[in-house]
Amino acid sequence: MSRSDVLVDADWVEAHRDDPGLVLVEVDEDTSAYDKGHIRGAVKIDWKKDLQDPVRRDFVDRAGFEALLSERGIAGDDTVILYGGNNNWFAAYAYWYFKLYGHQNVKLLDGGRKKWELDSRELVTDVPQRAATSYKAQEQDSSIRAFRDEVVSAIGSKNLIDVRSPDEFAGRLLAPAHLPQEQAQRGGHVPTAKNVPWSKAAEDDGTFKSDDALRELYGGAGVDFGTDTIAYCRIGERSAHTWFVMHELLGQPNVKNYDGSWTEYGSLVGVPIALGDA
Amino acid sequence: MSDAQTAATGQAAAAGCGAPAGGAPVKDAGNQAIVQGKVTKDGAPVGVGYARLLNSGGDFVAEVPLGEDGGFRFFAAPGDWTLRVLAPGGIRTDLGVSAAIGEISEFEVAV
Repeated sequence: MSRSDVLVDADWVEAHRDDPGLVLVEVDEDTSAYDKGHIRGAVKIDWKKDLQDPVRRDFVDRAGFEALLSERGIAGDDTVILYGGNNNWFAAYAYWYFKLYGHQNVKLLDGGRKKWELDSRELVTDVPQRAATSYKAQEQDSSIRAFRDEVVSAIGSKNLIDVRSPDEFAGRLLAPAHLPQEQAQRGGHVPTAKNVPWSKAAEDDGTFKSDDALRELYGGAGVDFGTDTIAYCRIGERSAHTWFVMHELLGQPNVKNYDGSWTEYGSLVGVPIALGDA
Repeated sequence: MSDAQTAATGQAAAAGCGAPAGGAPVKDAGNQAIVQGKVTKDGAPVGVGYARLLNSGGDFVAEVPLGEDGGFRFFAAPGDWTLRVLAPGGIRTDLGVSAAIGEISEFEVAV
């Protein structure tokens, strides 16, 4: 797999967005940005309402994902181009989620909404009408999703990559600094985890760094490319960004995203926690 | 813990990490160390752009899209930070800021 198989740039999107069999999808937690303006032809997916179970802390099930994509007019053989705000966190999460349910042809717009805006490219408010499909999903691919017991077992034996900011890793903050700080859980990190903040994999404009720079970044932080990897953050979006880098850009074979992440791990009774800087 | 508190805590844990445009709303600083302000150009608000918070080592900590009024808000740890503003036209401006628990530190950034 090469970078061009999983990543497109804004010029490519402007040239190909009307191609048959191609669907642009904006993904965000707060979809008001889409409502104010989006790339022409793009449909929206709401990270919370569309992708999360409304009662349990889990994803919508296979039937729910099939219903969602059918209603949005996405077919199983469509090429889906995902983009979003927050430096593509939610788009990378959706990419991982689409792969989890077996959608093969999916790519990210490099730099997402931010690069598009900073380039002053066109945004429109017209919502496209797409005919409904009968989307068929696969069973979840357990090779890319980690659960808590696997994380505990990985301490000292697999690469654990904590992609949160250094202050969250050390235990000084419990959430990203753009959010109010919670008091519900313990601060710190999973013992033996390396701290490679997601932001180090991206340029200021949200585009991904080169493969060479990425290998140097993770290798320099002590990540062993010959060992399986689990990435986590606070709730699984930022670590989906790192999952994309490790699995899709760098082609590492066994990389999982732990979507339970720190909001689960930091609330577990009896598990080990490490404090302090890397 | 009351049911209301439990519900509020559960809600906080269930929410994502997304950065709302302009920053999450607040009534007062409480026990938070808040850095907030507005970005202007020639006296007018810059409604399209991004504010980033960098730590003393220059590493990224957080980012919010600017609000329509050019506003931004961060919930930092106490200490010194660098505020970086990115806006269309290649605008990139850095400003040193500091934060303290229980205080709202206000900054206007002219680009």
